[in-house]
Parts: sequence; C-alpha cells; structure tokens
Amino acid sequence: MDEFNDNEIAKLLRLKRYEQPPPGYFENFLHEFHRRQRDELLRQPLWRICLDRARDLMFKLDVRSLASYPAAVAAVLVCAAIISVKIYQQPDTTPVAFQSPPELSASGNTEREWTLASPVATRILRTQPLRRFDENIQTHRVTIPPRYVLDSVPVSYEPTFRF
Amino acid sequence: MDEDSELVARTKSGHASAFDQLVIKYTPRLYGLVYNMTSNHEDTNDLLQDIFSKAYKAIRSFRGKSTFYTWIHSIAVNMTLNFLKKRGRRFQLSLDDVDTSIQNDKQFLEATATNSPVREADLSELQRRLNEAMMKLSDDHRAVVTMFHIQGMPHAEISKILRVSEGTVRSRLFYANRQLQNYLDEFRKNPVS
Repeated sequence: MDEFNDNEIAKLLRLKRYEQPPPGYFENFLHEFHRRQRDELLRQPLWRICLDRARDLMFKLDVRSLASYPAAVAAVLVCAAIISVKIYQQPDTTPVAFQSPPELSASGNTEREWTLASPVATRILRTQPLRRFDENIQTHRVTIPPRYVLDSVPVSYEPTFRF
Repeated sequence: MDEDSELVARTKSGHASAFDQLVIKYTPRLYGLVYNMTSNHEDTNDLLQDIFSKAYKAIRSFRGKSTFYTWIHSIAVNMTLNFLKKRGRRFQLSLDDVDTSIQNDKQFLEATATNSPVREADLSELQRRLNEAMMKLSDDHRAVVTMFHIQGMPHAEISKILRVSEGTVRSRLFYANRQLQNYLDEFRKNPVS
C-alpha cells in the first residue's frame, strides 16, 4: 500500500486554504479593531494617556532624538513643574491691607505709578506691589496675617504722589 | 516608495486611516497564518486583534530594513508561538467551515477521484484528520508547514520571518512532512471513523 508521499501531503495541506471564517468576518474586522482600541484607551490611566500624547507630539515635531519614553517622561515632568511654579508665583489677587504703616513708594518709576485714571482691573492684577515694605517683611502669607479692605482705606482713596 | 511604505510613513505621521488600509490588506493573509497554526477560530480572532494592536503601537520603531509584510508576519508568528506555548496541550479544535469552492479545486477532485482514503472520507472528516495531524506537530514545525504548504511562501521569505537560516527551514519542513505522513498513514489504515 502506498504511503502518502510529499507531493500528496502538500496537496492535502493546500486544501486547508479553503477553510474560511464566516461571511462578513473580514469586512467587520476593522470595526471590531477600532472598538477594542477605544476600550483599551479608556482603560488606561490618565498619566499613561498624557505620556502617549506627549510622545505623539514629539514624533509629529520630528524630534527624533527625543523619541523615547524617558524623554517623554522628562518632558511631561518639566511641563508639570513649570505649570506648578507659575501657579505658585501668581500673586494673590484679593485686595488686602496690612498692619504695618504703609510707606508710599517715592521712588522714581513714575510710569508705573497708579493713578485714579488707571482701570480698576489693573490695580488688582498688577504684579508689582503698590507699597514698598520693609524688607524684613517677606510676604503677608509668611509673617503678617492678612486684614481685609474694610479695616483700611480702600486703594482707590489713597492719594498718589507725583514728583 | 511602494504602497506599504507609503502607508507606514503616513501612519507614523499620525494618519490612523493609513494603518486601517494596512489592516484591511493583511487581515485575510494573517488570519490564514494564525488559524492554521492554532486550528481555533476564536483564538485566531483574539490573536489577530492583539497582533494589529501591537503592530500599531510599535510601528514607529519599524525602520524599513525589511518589508512591512515580513515585519508584521514576524510579529504574528511570534505572538502565535507564545500563545501556543501558554496554551500547551489544552486546546479544542474550532474549525472554520470549508468553502464550497473546494468542489472545484483540481487537486481536491484528483484526491477524491483516485482510490484513496481521501475518496472514502467525507469532507468534514478529511478536514478534521488534517487538522489533528497538524496539531500533533510541534509549534515550530507547524509554523513552517503553514507558511510553506498552506500559504505558499518561499523558503527565503520564511527564513526572514522566523529569523533562521534557509537550511533550518528546509530541515524543519522535511521532518514535518515525515511526521504528517505517519499521522495520515493512520488515516489511510482507518479511513472513516
């Protein structure tokens, strides 16, 4: 009795090409792939999503030397640090008065003097202090408890001095 | 630049729709590869999803030293082999239906025309016997049999995908053919179960 030879084996195996998935399988595969990708993305932690977005951005900018996860992590940390510093350095916009007697600044930069003509908004949002304080008094947050406007003369009532 | 290279470049620059084109193009072929290595439709479906997911995430590391075809086939073979190692011997055949167009296949007609066990068995029995014989091979031997006999890849392409020499591919094929002859010889002795 003849055995299967290599040729017969090959012919039989080639018939396995006719084993096919159900109709419509391949047409539906891409849709299923997208669905799974979305599900996977939603399951990721937020830091991971941010990291991947940072990495994608660097690739788009064609920053090849930085195209690595360590660099992406470093970039995210640097951005977070910068944002944190900015937030920390933002002056307190709440108008407050201080117990120490005000020493009105008589120094020269008259262009920066507030006047009654200055819009109110700028008085509140200016980063330069209105008064010069004793250097030993660092910030009201550190040494002097804040007192509120009602206890002192409002800013707009204060005379301005021009020399 | 060929079509695949262009689609890869567009994918890298952020056009996800370009990767969709690659998925559409390679799904049928990779399905055949994975299915014939696992003989299980459900496992094949899950693996295919994982293969394309991995390829998408890793595409920026694809440098173009090989073709995209070779690259994604390497991913598919490696992931399937890893899956089979974990699955071990605990598996169930979950076979796809045989397309009716096989009735017009010349080789099938020859096989069923001659006085052979193949002629005696019905199509589903033949399919089952073939798949059982394939699953008796080791994972590595089944991979080369799938790529060479079923998918029709040349030895050179298989060696690139598996990262082995062509000599290794040929010796694995030789050994696998001998094993299949033994397994199918049982079929010859017991043609109808």
